[in-house]
Amino acid sequence: MDAVFKALSDASRRALLDRLHARNGQTLTELCDGLAMTRQAVTKHLAILEAANLVTTIRHGREKLHFLNPVPIHQIGERWIRKFERAKLVALGELKKRLEEGDD
Amino acid sequence: MTEPGPALDIATFRPETVYTIYIAATPEKVWQALTSAEFSRQYFFGFAIEADLRTGGAFIVRTPDGAEHISGEVIVCEPPHRLTITWDVNWPGLVEALGRTLVTYEIEQAGAAVRLTMTEAHERPLSDDILSGGRQGWPAILSSLKSLLETGKPLAVQMAPPERMLAALKAMGIGLS
Repeated sequence: MDAVFKALSDASRRALLDRLHARNGQTLTELCDGLAMTRQAVTKHLAILEAANLVTTIRHGREKLHFLNPVPIHQIGERWIRKFERAKLVALGELKKRLEEGDD
Repeated sequence: MTEPGPALDIATFRPETVYTIYIAATPEKVWQALTSAEFSRQYFFGFAIEADLRTGGAFIVRTPDGAEHISGEVIVCEPPHRLTITWDVNWPGLVEALGRTLVTYEIEQAGAAVRLTMTEAHERPLSDDILSGGRQGWPAILSSLKSLLETGKPLAVQMAPPERMLAALKAMGIGLS
């Protein structure tokens, strides 16, 4: 679990997870596209995310695709959140989202 | 019984959701848990898996009341390392509207543990709304499987299909039977 928090502690790595959240199953080239990071830096960050099991890669034909793996985050949720009634937290999260969207 | 369709070209299915989990167990134990009702009832929302473990064999998932929820077929069977099955949910009109679904489990030794990777691949491109069902369900199912194998107790996760998926299916004329 240390590896998960360490991996999540970096804004660039969170940005990579955001990109996979927006569109899952991207190649390295697709992930680099439009980012202000070198390919080498992205590769390094992806290796850290993969070691923390937050990103999974599979081969699909000739491509290597990267997928967001939320399983470790789910486990963190089960450990600390579940007993505090997820439904209420979801409702609060939705409320926050809706109110903040209203500000755009 | 349905007649076997034309051979599936599984390379044309696009992986859309891939989840990995590490489990302190043997590959054989994980394989057994993924393919037997005795285990699946405990970690998979009470659903019973009945698998005829050979290529072309039937792969059935029954709801707790015994209804055939998924009527699949074994496509690749390499115990205890690789299992690919068709995962077509039996809601009326679903396969016609969405195309077919493949689920692959890969089980690899990783030190003293096992690395289990689940890949959900689809014949046609699907919206995130449609995919939200699997994306919500799999982390809970896999975490519960891990818990069951490591501690003898599954996680008591309660879960309903996501509203956005039901709304998207309804818009395509697919209703819950």
